[in-house]
Amino acid sequence: MSAILELENVHAGYGPTSVLHGVSLSVPEGGVVSLLGANGAGKTTTLRAITGGVRWSGDIRFAGRSLRRTSTEEIVRGGIAHVPEGRGICTELTVDENLRLGSHLRRDGAEVRKDYDRVFEYFPVLKERRRLSASTLSGGEQQMLALARALLMRPRLMLLDEPSLGLAPIVVRSIFEIVRSINLTSKVAVLLVEQNARIALDMSSTAYVLEVGRVAVQGAGAELQGNESVRRSYLGY
Amino acid sequence: MQEFLQLVVSGIATGGIFASLALALVLIYNAMGLVNFAQGEMAMLATFVAYSLVNRGMSFWIAFPVTLVLAFGGGIVIQRVVIKPAERAPVLTLVIITLGLATLVNGLAGFIWGYVPRSFPSPFSPDSVDLAGVFISYRDLGVIAVSGLVLLCVYLLLQHTTVGLTLRAAAHHPEASRLLGVQVSWMLALGWGLASAVGAVSGMMVAPILLLEPNMMQTIIIYAFAAAVLGGIESPLGAVVGGLIVGVTVNLAGSYIPGVGGDLQLAVGLGIIVAVLILRPNGLFGRAAVRRV
Amino acid sequence: MNRIRTAPPRYWLVALTLVFFLGFPTVISSFLASEWTQALILAIAIMGLNILVGYSGQLSLGHGAFMALGAYVSAILAHRYKMDYLVTVPIAAVFTGGVGFLFGIPALRLSPLYLALATFALAVVTPSLIKRPAGLTGGVQGILVLQPDPPDFAREAFAFVTGTAMTSDQWIYYITLLLAVVLFWLAWNLVRHRPGRAMRAIRDGEVAAAASGVNVAGYKTLAFGISAFYGGTAGSLFALSTGFISPDTFPVSLSIQLLVGAVVGGLASIPGPLLGAIFAFFLPIGSNQWVPSQTWLPDQITSTVKNAGPAVSYGVVLILIMMFAPNGIVGLLRSGYVILNRRLRGASDPKTGQMPPDPQTV
Repeated sequence: MSAILELENVHAGYGPTSVLHGVSLSVPEGGVVSLLGANGAGKTTTLRAITGGVRWSGDIRFAGRSLRRTSTEEIVRGGIAHVPEGRGICTELTVDENLRLGSHLRRDGAEVRKDYDRVFEYFPVLKERRRLSASTLSGGEQQMLALARALLMRPRLMLLDEPSLGLAPIVVRSIFEIVRSINLTSKVAVLLVEQNARIALDMSSTAYVLEVGRVAVQGAGAELQGNESVRRSYLGY
Repeated sequence: MQEFLQLVVSGIATGGIFASLALALVLIYNAMGLVNFAQGEMAMLATFVAYSLVNRGMSFWIAFPVTLVLAFGGGIVIQRVVIKPAERAPVLTLVIITLGLATLVNGLAGFIWGYVPRSFPSPFSPDSVDLAGVFISYRDLGVIAVSGLVLLCVYLLLQHTTVGLTLRAAAHHPEASRLLGVQVSWMLALGWGLASAVGAVSGMMVAPILLLEPNMMQTIIIYAFAAAVLGGIESPLGAVVGGLIVGVTVNLAGSYIPGVGGDLQLAVGLGIIVAVLILRPNGLFGRAAVRRV
Repeated sequence: MNRIRTAPPRYWLVALTLVFFLGFPTVISSFLASEWTQALILAIAIMGLNILVGYSGQLSLGHGAFMALGAYVSAILAHRYKMDYLVTVPIAAVFTGGVGFLFGIPALRLSPLYLALATFALAVVTPSLIKRPAGLTGGVQGILVLQPDPPDFAREAFAFVTGTAMTSDQWIYYITLLLAVVLFWLAWNLVRHRPGRAMRAIRDGEVAAAASGVNVAGYKTLAFGISAFYGGTAGSLFALSTGFISPDTFPVSLSIQLLVGAVVGGLASIPGPLLGAIFAFFLPIGSNQWVPSQTWLPDQITSTVKNAGPAVSYGVVLILIMMFAPNGIVGLLRSGYVILNRRLRGASDPKTGQMPPDPQTV
């Protein structure tokens, strides 16, 4: 299985402060990989580095091509959808307009309509609230909108930053169900940053645990789940 | 009654002029969080360009769209050359840059065309038409029609096209838009181009009324500020409504309030700004414009 | 003795500047002295604006209105009520300061951008507002101000030093210089102590400042009042030095000129206003007279500069400075000084830009 995303010895930081100190990881085509770790370990920074939101050194390759010197817009157009921390919902726009932003780059009209249908199947509440301002959505609904929008981009890789943040457990479960389903049916690879390690590991083939900007532990999801000392030291349960 | 209605109609016409310039201000405010103090001067420059074209024999109705296109291009150039390099600077710096731009454009116009006021021909006939006993000039109707049309086009563009959508997204949510593949930087440039073109309409409509000279827009921009503030600085609809209200109010004040005439009407504009900012800072349609803690 | 030897270079600079300003009117023409008076007046006004914009962070584009107020108060008192002009100066200053303070109260409610808008509108409307009460202000025709003769002691001192008779202009220059020195010194003290710190805290983050117990409303209105006080003084001196004021003396371009001077000189600095005033005052003269007279420059350049006039030069310089040196001349000098210092001292510097050691748990 080839890797859709590879990070090789990536250092990254904000100004003079360095946050990542040589992170290497890879995401297989169509696979689900979790990036775990405590607050401040560098998980969000890793995602930001991938989509060009922060300066990095080392190498980041998407579908074999290096992302060095590529602008965020170009990286995204190349097939990576990044749902940032806080979801990045355009609250000045309606739900429908947010969705359109997801699909606005695509030229395949018929396929876009199919994707819309699928998205409304997953998230019927979005169909109900199409014309309303996105600011009227609850936290969980906004997360759904962010996911739906990302889906409409038909990406090859989705970067999800803390999708469970601030959501009730039952909502979290349904969202992750949908993510799993998306991954299985559409073959979209997922790089998932999560603090809720348990639920993340449930669906990941591989997981990396970051600690203070370095990969402390990596392995298959099931392996890490089974390893009690790893769980206690790094994952908090 | 007759006079009152005439003043109202005429006020709506001037209101259309204010609304166009106010809309330009709102567009840029939405995109960058700053007020472009050079908007009036840019409109003036565009009007001078139109003047030159008409002088060379071009019909007004051809010069008009040509000028809009040139103004659009000019706005993009200004954004690329002057604003973009400073985009990470604090708002105060950018505001001062727009002030510098205003001074520069004013001086440039003075340099090229001098400060002697010129007359700018109106494309509409000076006659009046009798509508239900009220005499309304074709000029006023023409201004209303043209401004209305331009404003309608902008509305359609912003609300019902993909370009308009990406423009609005880039203006209000630059970071999120980038992650959706929107070329935010170019959208900002487009915003400036659009604002510049809309402002140019204001200049070309007002030039036949006032005389064309480099300082022509300095009073208009005050009224445009008043309109934008009244409508809510973030709201394009507010700019239009605000413009109409300001236009009518200033006209009526000029006639019915003793002592207010000519240049003191401008003080009415200032008064509106101050009143709105004290009584209802959000304006009619805006959200919080005063800092919330 | 030791204190003089170890005094930082900054103090020497101030002393030198003072000596320069004291001395050079004795060697230049009276007309040039009156020009430098204008520059000093601008410096006072700009210092006032600097306190408002640079130190307390409130963007006002209407400072010219305060100058106008101060000028007219003085002129009316002197012309209509026959007061001794020098007595009118402090009256005008205090009155304008009071008005400014009152201004500061509604200004509290405005976001920075709205404040800029409102003050800009004020600046545009000022000439019209002056024309209205024509009975008081002389309307469009303005007011003539009689320039006082130098008093005997000054005349004698001047004659002693230069051997020539002192003109009114030169006397006015020295009054202005004295006031400028006093006001700059006051500003320096203000900035160094609590009010200055409070204002800077407010400028850098109002919410944080309020949370730290700073009386935000109080200091902001105070800043407005002080700023207006300086503006009023400048306006009053302005009327004295030019001998005549009218509504057209205070157009919106004056307010912009003041802001340009403040920014170009360097906001939130004490020497900034002086440098900025010199820039703001002499740039138009430079572009109109000095540059065209430099015969070694190609004609194209000189004629363009002369025709385009101060407006274009102002605009271009302002934009360039904001883009490349937003801290103004003072900022440039300070960076230059730091760089120079580092070169001269050699040795490792804590700010080499190397990444700090790995962070502990974040």
